[in-house]
Amino acid sequence: MLLHIALMGNPNTGKTTIFNALTGMNQHVGNWPGKTVEKKEGVFTHNGRKIRLVDLPGTYSLSAFSPEEAIARNYLLDSDLEAVVVVLDAANLERNLFLAAQVQELGVPTLFVLNMMDAAAEREIKIDTAVLSRHLNAPIVTTIARKGEGIDALKTAVVTIAAKKSAEQSILPLELNYGSEIENGIDELCTQMDRFPAILERYPARWLAVNLLEQDEMLQQQVLKMEGGSALLTIVQLTDNRLQTAVGEDVEIAIADNRYKWIHKLVEETVDRPQIDMLTRSDKIDRIVTNRWAGIPIFMLLMWAVFKLTADVSAPYLDWIGGVLAGPVTHWIISLLTAVGADGTWIESLFVDGIIAGVGGVLVFVPVLVFLYLALAILENSGYMARAAFVMDSAMHRIGLHGKSFLPLLVGFGCTVPAIYATRTLENEKDRILTGLLVPFMSCGARLPVYVLFAAIFFPDQGGAVVFGLYLLGILTAVLLALLLRKTSYFAGEANAFVMELPPYRMPAIKGLWLHTWVRIRSFLESAWTIILASSIVIWLLASVPMGGKGTFADVAMEDSAFAAVSGVIAPAFEPLGFGSWQASSALVSGFIAKEVVVSTMAQVYNVEGDAEAAEFPPFIEDVTFIFSSFAEATVDTARAIPLIVGIDLSSEDDEPEPTDLILAVRQNFEETSGGRGSLAALAFMVFVLIYTPCMVAIAAEKHELGVRWMWVSVIGQLLLAWVFAFIVFQGGKVLIGF
Amino acid sequence: MTFSPLPAANKRILPLSMVSIGQKVRLQQITGGKRLTHHLVEMGLTPGVELTVIQKSGPLLIAVRDSRIAIGRGIACKMQVCR
Repeated sequence: MLLHIALMGNPNTGKTTIFNALTGMNQHVGNWPGKTVEKKEGVFTHNGRKIRLVDLPGTYSLSAFSPEEAIARNYLLDSDLEAVVVVLDAANLERNLFLAAQVQELGVPTLFVLNMMDAAAEREIKIDTAVLSRHLNAPIVTTIARKGEGIDALKTAVVTIAAKKSAEQSILPLELNYGSEIENGIDELCTQMDRFPAILERYPARWLAVNLLEQDEMLQQQVLKMEGGSALLTIVQLTDNRLQTAVGEDVEIAIADNRYKWIHKLVEETVDRPQIDMLTRSDKIDRIVTNRWAGIPIFMLLMWAVFKLTADVSAPYLDWIGGVLAGPVTHWIISLLTAVGADGTWIESLFVDGIIAGVGGVLVFVPVLVFLYLALAILENSGYMARAAFVMDSAMHRIGLHGKSFLPLLVGFGCTVPAIYATRTLENEKDRILTGLLVPFMSCGARLPVYVLFAAIFFPDQGGAVVFGLYLLGILTAVLLALLLRKTSYFAGEANAFVMELPPYRMPAIKGLWLHTWVRIRSFLESAWTIILASSIVIWLLASVPMGGKGTFADVAMEDSAFAAVSGVIAPAFEPLGFGSWQASSALVSGFIAKEVVVSTMAQVYNVEGDAEAAEFPPFIEDVTFIFSSFAEATVDTARAIPLIVGIDLSSEDDEPEPTDLILAVRQNFEETSGGRGSLAALAFMVFVLIYTPCMVAIAAEKHELGVRWMWVSVIGQLLLAWVFAFIVFQGGKVLIGF
Repeated sequence: MTFSPLPAANKRILPLSMVSIGQKVRLQQITGGKRLTHHLVEMGLTPGVELTVIQKSGPLLIAVRDSRIAIGRGIACKMQVCR
């Protein structure tokens, strides 16, 4: 039988480390249904029992004020749990016990884990676990999860408590004394509740009374939907009004305060600690790191390092994956197809131009994401990420964003995909969605070659200024959009409430970093491959179907294919923007899949590509050697790229000159479609490329992180904005310049 | 609400945002919305608790019940404290 256990605790208690220590590689990350809150699940076996462990979001309490708290509480109420494991930070027991008390009031079978015993010992905090266990009416295990200490005992305790529930032992909920007036109110409500059997079916009476008096809005809504709900809420409101006068302050605050008083007494009885207040090591580091003057330069330095890590250091591996796919993998597939007699047919074309291209399109993001996740995990686990938010809060606040929004936006200049994943560091769902919507306006690395080509063709003298201007336009668009969206009712006023815990600085554990990275990369691949493969095959199909009687299936010139026909249909939409040719719109259509292919598509559609020479495949063993030797080369290149972070350039730049045929063809085409205003049309085209959908993988990432609804808002919004901006540039330019 | 008695001369009420680095104060009350008050309370910022301001640079960094909590200027203005 699979035993079902939930894991919960305050943020920064080492809950994730405990989850990793228990489940190891047997874990899976996803999102909670309908939410952008991360859900982790894992399985482990101990003493012959198999345990399914669900990691609930880190919360400070069980009241459902944030999505995280709502998920955690509903999970405890609604799922058929054997037990819940609550992780407590031994060095910060008082605050942690608030959640512990609430869980015990709910009456779920509980096992408490006192983690970070080393940090407590360092501060000479001694805890009498026996007495604490007696008062909390639940077993306690002590651990130092980072060092793996106490994990075996924890596993045994989990199995024991899970088996106990199976034996149908009832657990008595903890009853705290909230003072005579409130207690009278609770008693009265409990008596009244006998009239609402449907509601008592789901909630324990005393717990419901206490939580309704605490004005828990989500609970009120849930009760309202049940039979007799509105009658019960009216009774609660009357009781609340009466108690308010009797207690002389808000009842919910009085309840929380009494809970803390109970906790304070418990701590006095069980915790022995030196009375002197001293600045901890973390406080001393924070004197510098969060300092008004030193804070921002330190932050900028670290962010620059992360940006370089994702943008430059991962590049050699990116080339390696591309090389392996284009070389050995393609060779092998063609050899296999030759063996079954399918070489030279449309099947070969499907595999080489459709599937491998699609798979490659996903895999090239893996190196970038590995470095991003490693960097994020180090920033997060060391405790710096919270400081980054602290340092940047004032500046980001002005444009309605959170201090933590800065990092995803910066990463966006390298690649939109990891940038969208980086929004996960934002705790608040609305901040996360808003930042995710803005990330695509940061011009990613793949858009640069398009600007460079067009700047070289149309603005040979002011190329640098034009490219810089485009980057600036992206940033301005994001800032204005942030200010504007904050005015909408959905995003209104959330970023103001800046309250967050700064955990003590810690050395990140290597095992945790690796697990964090690996589990997320796996999840990315699982979610991205379908959308990417499907879109690559659709494009391949379009390019393979002959139109107008020229060519055969999978052997047709670009201008005679369905791809050209489809692009031709879209083209009129771009006419007011000055680039209404099928060639320009086919470049934009392929840019929807990936910005990397815009330039190569242009080479294809303007028919200036040299014929590929008939390839003679190297022998199998040479291909295998190539895979490993080029991996080694990539590693060496990566090592050489690391000094780039601090600005030392060890490699020499090699420029690939653009083919002059292409330049001529593009210039002629743009002059034609714009009525002789080629430069203006080119500028509008670049602006369009800047603003519209970055790529298919970015869309997949948005779906993964923000949900389908926001994915569509983002895609459609970008297309509309891109069109409007390009329109303003072209038509406005026409008026201004007076053409 | 009962507080430990403080000398009357010292009992001056001021917003947390006015407290300077290194000072230890006692939280008197929070005059924010319900949501905000609730969030602060569950993080341990209950009326009567002792706070020390560790850093001020835009937001404030305060020490309370063994944890370090960053609080935006706007919220700090809504937290009444006394020395």
